[in-house]
Amino acid sequence: MESNIKSATSSMTSNQKPTGLKLFFKKLVQQRILVLMSVPFLIWLFLFKYLPLWGWTTAFQKYRPNKSFSEQEWIGFDQFKFLFHDDRFIRVLRNTLAQSGINLVLGFITAITLALLLNELRGILFKRVVQTVTYMPHFLSWVVAAGIIQATLAPDGIINVLMIKLGMIEKGQELLFLGIPKDFWTILGLGTVWKDLGWNTIVYLAAMATIDPSQYEAAEMDGAGRFRRMWNVTLPGIKSVIVVLLILNIGNLMESGFEAQYLLKNGMNIDYSENIDIFVLTYGINQSNFSLAVAAGMFKSLVSIVLLFIANGIAKRAGESRLF
Amino acid sequence: MANLATGTAPKKLVRRNASLGDRIFNTLNITFLCLLMLVTLYPFLNTLALSFNRAMDSIRGGIYIWPRDFSIENYKYVFNQSTIFHATLISVLRLVIGSITTVFCSAMVAYTISRQDFVLRKFITIAFVLTAYINPGLIPNYLNIRDLGLVDSFWVYIWPGLIGVFNLILIRSFIDGLPESILESGRIDGAGDFRTFFNIVLPLCLPVLATVALFTAVYQWNSWLDVFLYNSSNINLSTLQYELQKILQNSSAASSASSAFSNPDAAANAVTPIAVRATMTIVASVPMILMYPFLQKYFVKGMTVGGVKG
Amino acid sequence: MAKKLLLTCMAAILVFTAACSKDNKNNGNTAAPSTVDGSPSTSESAPASETPKDKVTFTFFNGVANAPDANMNETTIGKILEDQTGVNFKMEHLVGDLKAKVGTMIASNNYPDVIDPDDGIAQLLDAGAFIDLTDLINKSPNVKRVYGPYLNQMKAADGKIYFIPFSSQVGDYTPDPEINQGAFWIQRRVLKEAGYPKIKTLDEYTKLIEDFVAKHKDENLTGLVSLTHDWRFFSTSNVPMHLDGYPNDGNVEVDMTTFEAKTYYTTDSTKRWLQKLNDLNSKGLFDKASFVDNFDQYIAKLSSKKVVGFFDYGWQSANARNLLKDAARQDPTQDDFVYFPMPLTWDGSKDQLLDPPGFVMNRGIGISTSAKDPERIMAYWDNLLKEENQILKSWGIKGETYEVDDKGRFYRTAEQIKKIDEPFNLKFGFRYYNWDWPQYGTNSTLTDGNAFAPGYQPEVFQMNLTDADKSILDKYGVKTYSELFAAPDNRPWYPAWGIPKPQGSPEQIWETTKDEVTKKYYPKLVLAKPAEFDKIWDQYLAAFGKLDTAGYEKWYTEQIKAAIEAAK
Repeated sequence: MESNIKSATSSMTSNQKPTGLKLFFKKLVQQRILVLMSVPFLIWLFLFKYLPLWGWTTAFQKYRPNKSFSEQEWIGFDQFKFLFHDDRFIRVLRNTLAQSGINLVLGFITAITLALLLNELRGILFKRVVQTVTYMPHFLSWVVAAGIIQATLAPDGIINVLMIKLGMIEKGQELLFLGIPKDFWTILGLGTVWKDLGWNTIVYLAAMATIDPSQYEAAEMDGAGRFRRMWNVTLPGIKSVIVVLLILNIGNLMESGFEAQYLLKNGMNIDYSENIDIFVLTYGINQSNFSLAVAAGMFKSLVSIVLLFIANGIAKRAGESRLF
Repeated sequence: MANLATGTAPKKLVRRNASLGDRIFNTLNITFLCLLMLVTLYPFLNTLALSFNRAMDSIRGGIYIWPRDFSIENYKYVFNQSTIFHATLISVLRLVIGSITTVFCSAMVAYTISRQDFVLRKFITIAFVLTAYINPGLIPNYLNIRDLGLVDSFWVYIWPGLIGVFNLILIRSFIDGLPESILESGRIDGAGDFRTFFNIVLPLCLPVLATVALFTAVYQWNSWLDVFLYNSSNINLSTLQYELQKILQNSSAASSASSAFSNPDAAANAVTPIAVRATMTIVASVPMILMYPFLQKYFVKGMTVGGVKG
Repeated sequence: MAKKLLLTCMAAILVFTAACSKDNKNNGNTAAPSTVDGSPSTSESAPASETPKDKVTFTFFNGVANAPDANMNETTIGKILEDQTGVNFKMEHLVGDLKAKVGTMIASNNYPDVIDPDDGIAQLLDAGAFIDLTDLINKSPNVKRVYGPYLNQMKAADGKIYFIPFSSQVGDYTPDPEINQGAFWIQRRVLKEAGYPKIKTLDEYTKLIEDFVAKHKDENLTGLVSLTHDWRFFSTSNVPMHLDGYPNDGNVEVDMTTFEAKTYYTTDSTKRWLQKLNDLNSKGLFDKASFVDNFDQYIAKLSSKKVVGFFDYGWQSANARNLLKDAARQDPTQDDFVYFPMPLTWDGSKDQLLDPPGFVMNRGIGISTSAKDPERIMAYWDNLLKEENQILKSWGIKGETYEVDDKGRFYRTAEQIKKIDEPFNLKFGFRYYNWDWPQYGTNSTLTDGNAFAPGYQPEVFQMNLTDADKSILDKYGVKTYSELFAAPDNRPWYPAWGIPKPQGSPEQIWETTKDEVTKKYYPKLVLAKPAEFDKIWDQYLAAFGKLDTAGYEKWYTEQIKAAIEAAK
């Protein structure tokens, strides 16, 4: 399959050799159907996604929504200076990257594992039940989910009770899990996995559905055991989806989510829970300073795009499927 | 076309008698999945129990998977809001129209950027992908939507989210995974791009299209921020989730108001945010959970590309 | 085949969608202004003329989500007011984030006719969204009667009045017989066992708790919990202010002779309070989960009957306390677990926990620049402020929702009390007119001597007491709970937290940063080993020292002096 695409690519590039504007337009006319199928959506894209980007100019203004563009007061990089001005920003950035990094790794590993395990099930009914049940927590709002996490981790919650029963701690020595700063990332990561595991699995199950069963047959003929089949047939079959999603998500590392942190944070864990979005909420939106929010958004976009290109470049080097 | 989609599931393959290792694996696998289900089922059962428990009693906490003081008052309270039925209709409409348009449009663009020889391929891909990482900010976005004439209109639910980058890339990587020979064979038959797209790509991509449809449906069903920002003063365009949000917010005011007059009967039947939140979670999520098995069949069984390997 | 059909459907719908959206865009463009700017939707043929009976509907955006959206003329009160003035309001409530909503309104320069923006008021004032009301108020006798004493305070820096606050005091001050403000609460059984001692200081209070828990070892009791969750953190951090004998002025204590505003976060008082909690924690009497629990968990603990005491504001812990009260109403033996409020200070001197008559100046209702007919809106408000209409919106209709005895005193029968539940409040309109409009402040007194607010009328309050309530009040020689507390001194600036701070000002930043520093260090201080307390306290002082506290205090002192001037 891979080789097919590659050969197609190479043949295409060789066809394109005599480059030039003329050739470009010639091809455009040749491919007018494809143009027809995509260009209207480019216009849509421009109207809905790129046009409002004039809003980025507000990052350099003391933006007052009631004033017109020409009446705005320009303040240069002040918002950025405020954003970056002390070591607190480093901490907030660290938390953002750590939280989303943990979520990314945990999320990928658990979802792919679950998809593999489900794929090994014989009973269709059981498989469907597991799928549906693991998918359900996705529909709980974070408020509900955080409430359950808080109750579970409370001194009288099930984790502490179990730890006492198992003799890991003494009664009266119950741990305040949400008060231990360093545990916050783990709690957040596990909480996110618990909530979205089934949801994240869907994509991989769909990918596995397209694997040609004769490939399993062939592997079996070769005497491949179950794990070898997973390794040699299933995983390669969904590899391109994994890689492409991984690239997309690496670009998304600056977005570590907001609600869960907001609900689970407290004074004790703030050093590990506060991320860029919460910082922007406290010092931007809540003070009606929309410019700060925009400045932070620009910074995040910039980093994201750099990360995206790096990830894509690595995939390209490694000869894997890639985004562009 | 004829040799496609034969629907042979992997389990129909001839297998040797399960070895000991296989059986151990199966047992462990099933045990593990059962444990996992326990963990993921609990929050839902807990929410269900809270929704059927008398609201004032729930304040005391300590409810796990069974109501302590059974009551259907919470549901009565939610369904007593007359606006909820029309709002559900709008939610269904946006779900159906949103999912169909998103699936169709995303697939179409995905097909064009999967064509390695398409001259605009890279440009279009990058133009789309970048939008996943840029955010113009709340107010510029609002003004843009207003200038496009979408404020106070149903179509504000459809247009801005027409094509999501994630969905687009997902579909494209599926099309990339299709054997080139099939696409080629279509072309050799003289099929144009439209026909290749409709007759070959779409049917073969059914699992991913079902996935994207599911994602979009859930997104459409759950979103209420766009209602809040663009259509909040037009009750005819309100959606279920938005109305539920309203009910939730009112309930916190109601629970404190009813206590102010120390009216024991009123207090006993008062709603509380905890109870209303649980009830609205159930009301909003049950349709999505029921919908899942219907879409599952598209990717549990799987469409297979028989007879073309090699 | 099925697939073909599906695809055809898809295509058909897409075409349909495109067609519709085109139509709709056009509609949207032409229709938008007429629907959004709130022009009279029910207006009769003639253009708004002099005849006041012309029916008109204004849009009203309420930044507080306290009721379902509704047309006011669908409520009993609103219908009566519409019959009097011909004016109706269509009220929309906030659902999502207030700042975002207000931001979009400002950006599109398209406002509802009337706005109560709650916390978003600074944003709207800054944007010039409100019209000057000075002339309109001058033409409105009832508005002038009710707000006359406050007109100076209501003026913005430019001398104009842009909005009308909600809490003007009319007539004598009627205290709230219940404790809705701050108090140290304790289980009644503790007082019963100790023979109803008169407690005046925090030390006596904690001693009482300590002894009680020691005597009831096997009951698994918690001595003290404290509310710290999110924005409710002030329930823990405000305590030193109250122990110093000050009311809830927010972040400052205002000296009654020099009128200097001083923050109290680094004073001995705060140190003593935290050290007290630290001490209780080391003795196992303080619930350390106080610092991680969310609000629901806190309320659940208070209703569990296991918590002996806590400090909190009455309005905040009301749900839990009412639950216990209801239980005691049904089963008198449960009265042991009902909480009793106590006014405490460090040295037993006069407490100031009850709110003084105040005028909250950073909340209010204004008429927007988009409003077509401000005069009629003001006329409606003026009519609403007539005493008979204030009685209507507060007590309701005589014979239906209240009665008058032969001495002219208002009261409610048991049946009426029972009738007025949540659905009734909505249908009658009590809920809609309870707040959010120009009105008498809650502590006001009507000209005939009745309390303006039914809950504050002693007759209504007495009717709701159980025998056990009466008996414990009797033990302390009082008729109402608030009589336990010292009468509030006159503080014309009260509440200081209600003095508006400009958006993004150093004062706002100070408060945000202060929140973060205290939220971070208080748990460390309380949960530390007692020997380490002083060390951490020094770290805390160092962190707090980075804030421009002197500047904040200076700003507040100026504002308070200005408020005193304005009130003269």
